Amino acid sequence: MTEKTITKKIPGGKLVRIDLSFEEVITDVKITGDFFLHPEDVLEKLEKEIIGLYVPLNKPSLINRLDRVIENNSAELIGVSTIDIVNALTEVTQ
Amino acid sequence: MKFRLIPLREFDAYTNMALDEAICESIQNDESIPVIRFYTWKPSAVSIGYFQGLKNEVNIDECKKQNVDVVRRRTGGGAVYHDEEITYSIIGPVDIFPKDIIRSYEKICQYIVYALAELGIDAKFSPINDIVVDDKKISGNAQTRRDGILLQHGTILYDVDVDKMFSLLKVPDEKTADKLIQSVKKRVTRILDYGDIPKERVVDVLYKSFSKDKEITVGNYTKKEIERAKELVESKYNTERWNNLR
Repeated sequence: MTEKTITKKIPGGKLVRIDLSFEEVITDVKITGDFFLHPEDVLEKLEKEIIGLYVPLNKPSLINRLDRVIENNSAELIGVSTIDIVNALTEVTQ
Repeated sequence: MKFRLIPLREFDAYTNMALDEAICESIQNDESIPVIRFYTWKPSAVSIGYFQGLKNEVNIDECKKQNVDVVRRRTGGGAVYHDEEITYSIIGPVDIFPKDIIRSYEKICQYIVYALAELGIDAKFSPINDIVVDDKKISGNAQTRRDGILLQHGTILYDVDVDKMFSLLKVPDEKTADKLIQSVKKRVTRILDYGDIPKERVVDVLYKSFSKDKEITVGNYTKKEIERAKELVESKYNTERWNNLR
């Protein structure tokens, strides 16, 4: 099992840190940082969407999945985007 | 628009966060008109954003040693060391604020900008959630919208001990800690940098500025809010479960 952490300061935005456990599939993910998300509990739903995915990640598909979670929950991410999260995830799993 | 303004009072960190939530409930249950409250923190405290990892952000042993409380907020944003500052919360139904989140930050932050202007300090709103003077941060703000209620709280720095702050907060890389502290000292400012302005005067201009476009009733916390806040301190804000959530 590989455990990795990546921290990204989004230009003009906030800081996001991802702690990830994975081998062939992602077994655990924790997204932390000083960003905003309304409503806040949607973050757990985003994390659930990431767990179980095969590595290497399919970037466009994951962005779509996370965008769907945001949309279905009428949520709004501020200071970080789903693209930023997926970019960080892709970088850390490479 | 009618508001209840609750003048500055001192509480511990857990009670401060619990009072915000208790007032949100009062408004949600139609037991209160919207509220603006001002408060300080005793003992001094570190609050962390809802999404932050406690152990990533806070030097917990050092906080214990220096008798500094640590609490997780309901709002996002970054870690804040609350000591010589004035904190406000504005709470009301979401529909009395701009729908757009950044616009609503701006609208509320303008009250602080106007108050600082009264003190001769030329501040401006800096999206997403800061107020700056000459590009230096003087106020940080954070917002949540839950169950139809908007809560925004924020701090106005009156004085700041950056060295103490960094003994309590974790710095990403110990090797560059000194550099970081120096850079924060250059990027953060406080009211006392602009003259020997008494805290009471700052509080007074804040009351006036926040009251300007509202019908204000000066009031207090209700008995029910105090009781509910006590419950929330015990069941939530002063618990490992909540503060270690992430």
